[in-house]
Amino acid sequence: MVNVLTEPGVQGRDPLAGRIPVSIVTGFLGSGKTTLINRLLKRPDMNRVAVIVNELGEQSIDHDLVEVSSEQMMLLNNGCLCCVLRGDLQDTLREMFVKRRTGEIIDFERVVIETSGLADPAPVMHTLMTDTMLQAQYRMDCVVTLVDAVNGAGQLDTMQEAVKQAALADRLVITKSDLVDEAKIATLEARLRELNPQAPVKRAVNGEIELAFLINVGLANTRSRLEDVERWMGADVHDEHGHVHRHDSAVRSFCLRYDRPFTWSTFSQCMEVLTALRGPDLLRVKGLVNVEGRAGPLVVQGVQHLFHPTIELAAWPSADHETRIVFITRGIERSVVENLFTAIGSIAQAPSS
Amino acid sequence: MNTTLSTQGQASQTLAWNMKLLSHNELAGFGGVGEGISMQVAGDGRRILWLAHESAPKNFTGVDVTDVRNPKVVVQTDLPHARVRSNSLDVVGNVMAVAYQTKEVGQKPAGFDLFDISKPEEPRLISHYDTSGPHSRGAHCVFFVDGEYVHLSSGAPDFEPTNPKDDQFYQIIDVRNPSRPTEAGRWWLPGLRKGDSAPPPPRHPRFDGGYRTHNCNVYPQRPDRAYLGYIDGGAIILDIADKANPKMVTRWRYSPPFNGFCHTVMPLFERGLLIVSDECVKDDGKDWPKLTWVVDAHDETNLVPVSTLPLPPVETFGKRGGRYGSHNMHENQPGPASFRSETIVVCTFFNGGVRAYDTSNPYQPQEIAYYVPGAPKLSPSGAIQMNDVWVDERGIIYSVDRFGGGLYILEMTV
Repeated sequence: MVNVLTEPGVQGRDPLAGRIPVSIVTGFLGSGKTTLINRLLKRPDMNRVAVIVNELGEQSIDHDLVEVSSEQMMLLNNGCLCCVLRGDLQDTLREMFVKRRTGEIIDFERVVIETSGLADPAPVMHTLMTDTMLQAQYRMDCVVTLVDAVNGAGQLDTMQEAVKQAALADRLVITKSDLVDEAKIATLEARLRELNPQAPVKRAVNGEIELAFLINVGLANTRSRLEDVERWMGADVHDEHGHVHRHDSAVRSFCLRYDRPFTWSTFSQCMEVLTALRGPDLLRVKGLVNVEGRAGPLVVQGVQHLFHPTIELAAWPSADHETRIVFITRGIERSVVENLFTAIGSIAQAPSS
Repeated sequence: MNTTLSTQGQASQTLAWNMKLLSHNELAGFGGVGEGISMQVAGDGRRILWLAHESAPKNFTGVDVTDVRNPKVVVQTDLPHARVRSNSLDVVGNVMAVAYQTKEVGQKPAGFDLFDISKPEEPRLISHYDTSGPHSRGAHCVFFVDGEYVHLSSGAPDFEPTNPKDDQFYQIIDVRNPSRPTEAGRWWLPGLRKGDSAPPPPRHPRFDGGYRTHNCNVYPQRPDRAYLGYIDGGAIILDIADKANPKMVTRWRYSPPFNGFCHTVMPLFERGLLIVSDECVKDDGKDWPKLTWVVDAHDETNLVPVSTLPLPPVETFGKRGGRYGSHNMHENQPGPASFRSETIVVCTFFNGGVRAYDTSNPYQPQEIAYYVPGAPKLSPSGAIQMNDVWVDERGIIYSVDRFGGGLYILEMTV
């Protein structure tokens, strides 16, 4: 069996630092991705950011802003590099890194990717986890999902893809909030919080949102501080109680906590079984795991059946050394995962005859 | 190649990846630093970074870097005249050795000084070791890490080279009594001194940088070995078990076909590797390629280069202004305030800035971080010229500009 989780080895250089952070902007057709990206492209803080867009609309970029351009890329006068996706994302990201290395393009320090309208963000995230070259040079920073205040609720009712986009998000942005009344937005906001309690929600009108909301979510190095870890795991990790799921009954979000350290084999077996049986329904897993014999917590993060290489932080960020794992699942109940962990834990600890 | 989408070749641009500028100090307006950097942990706990200047009028500067975000110059000294430069220094405990090289042969002071720096604000001269002579320009480089011997690249009063460019050779100076330094041994490549039985070696056909000792590194792990960069002579390992009679163990001669100027030979003892740097000495990429080599030294009598540290292309940096190519590295010095790594190498590349590499896989070293400051004000080359680098035991990087930029203190985030 191929191991789902890789045990972190002897540490040399920091396995997180030195990789270029990638933010993914997703959302349904009409949710305002292009508007948001176009506003973003003009911001002064986009210096040395490379943005991968699906296409350039006729009016999308003011020619006064373009310093130089090639067929596929434009350097804007705020220092932002705008790249049009050609073929697949894997090739585009590879080519960008190589051109950055050879000095053919600016030495961008982060990437923002606009996904196409119906896109499921999971395969984009998987690309960064499975391609050896991309995995070595880039790291997932943040998934930002835009939800249209006008049509968002209806899309969540009828389109599984919309639910998945919201469930996978690290950040949620409600767009077009000026077009509907406050009560409707509040309802949508509540629904999003219920669907994905870890992701902060913000409103944006005409794509006006600060870059800071879209970046610096993922752990940037193994010496992360408490606030870095909390920012990455989300706000709701202390919640011990299940939510009342009125709308999107399939999606479950919960945080498991364990005060006793795991052995590596127990923990990885739990995740193996869960992934083997229900991989597609493990929408997002993020956790700090206390493993016997390790100085710092192990960072576990997965999207469906794929997990990032497990990384050990240099130290626990606070006195709280409990394992905590956030699960966002499709139809997997908290109790099912808890029971699985209990069962495997008991088998592993049973004395051998 | 299309370079229009890049600003990397523009000297005004600061380029950074996994290195963050913590502070910058122009050293009271005398920001041209040579290739001598060493850190003292003073008796009162302060960290003092000692810098040898590239040229007159300043000799050396001591900077209190205890607070890396707020470095303060605590002392800055003058040279006696403008026809001498210090360029190189090393610190052991509270003793500092400073080299002196003159513009022309026969001038003074030439050799090195030993200073007592127990009070960093008031360096006190202990002794001067004079290597001046009719054919000597004095010392270019000191390596002093054990408090007992200064390993020196210098001319000598009694040494007449066969070619005037070949005046500086390897000397071991016993400073166990610091007030009376005495020569313990010397070595030069046979054929370089008038009267040698060996014929003089052939000159480099294009660049003729000379046959001189540059860095001469000796480490506590192998006190019987000296690792010499020998300019156009390549990399040389000496057996110095008997200091009075150094013997050549090996010589790796790679120029020509390459362009000479072998500068530093740093062993990674646990891994059987050497990191060997060239020095770029011509502006505008004229002497490209100037590389930093990873050399397999498991059999020290048969050195085999296995890779070079990957650098951005000369097309991008060659015309950025001034020199572009390899030069100094942090040399894994012993001592309480020195970073030592068997895998991570931090080097300076003039307008290519300061760059860090992971050599875990010696066949495919990877760049993991860099910092290229934008051109300093009034820079004569129009670009940064990062000249030397020190890394302290916490991984804080101290790098210096050759002309006017002064000291850049950086945090490496890998």
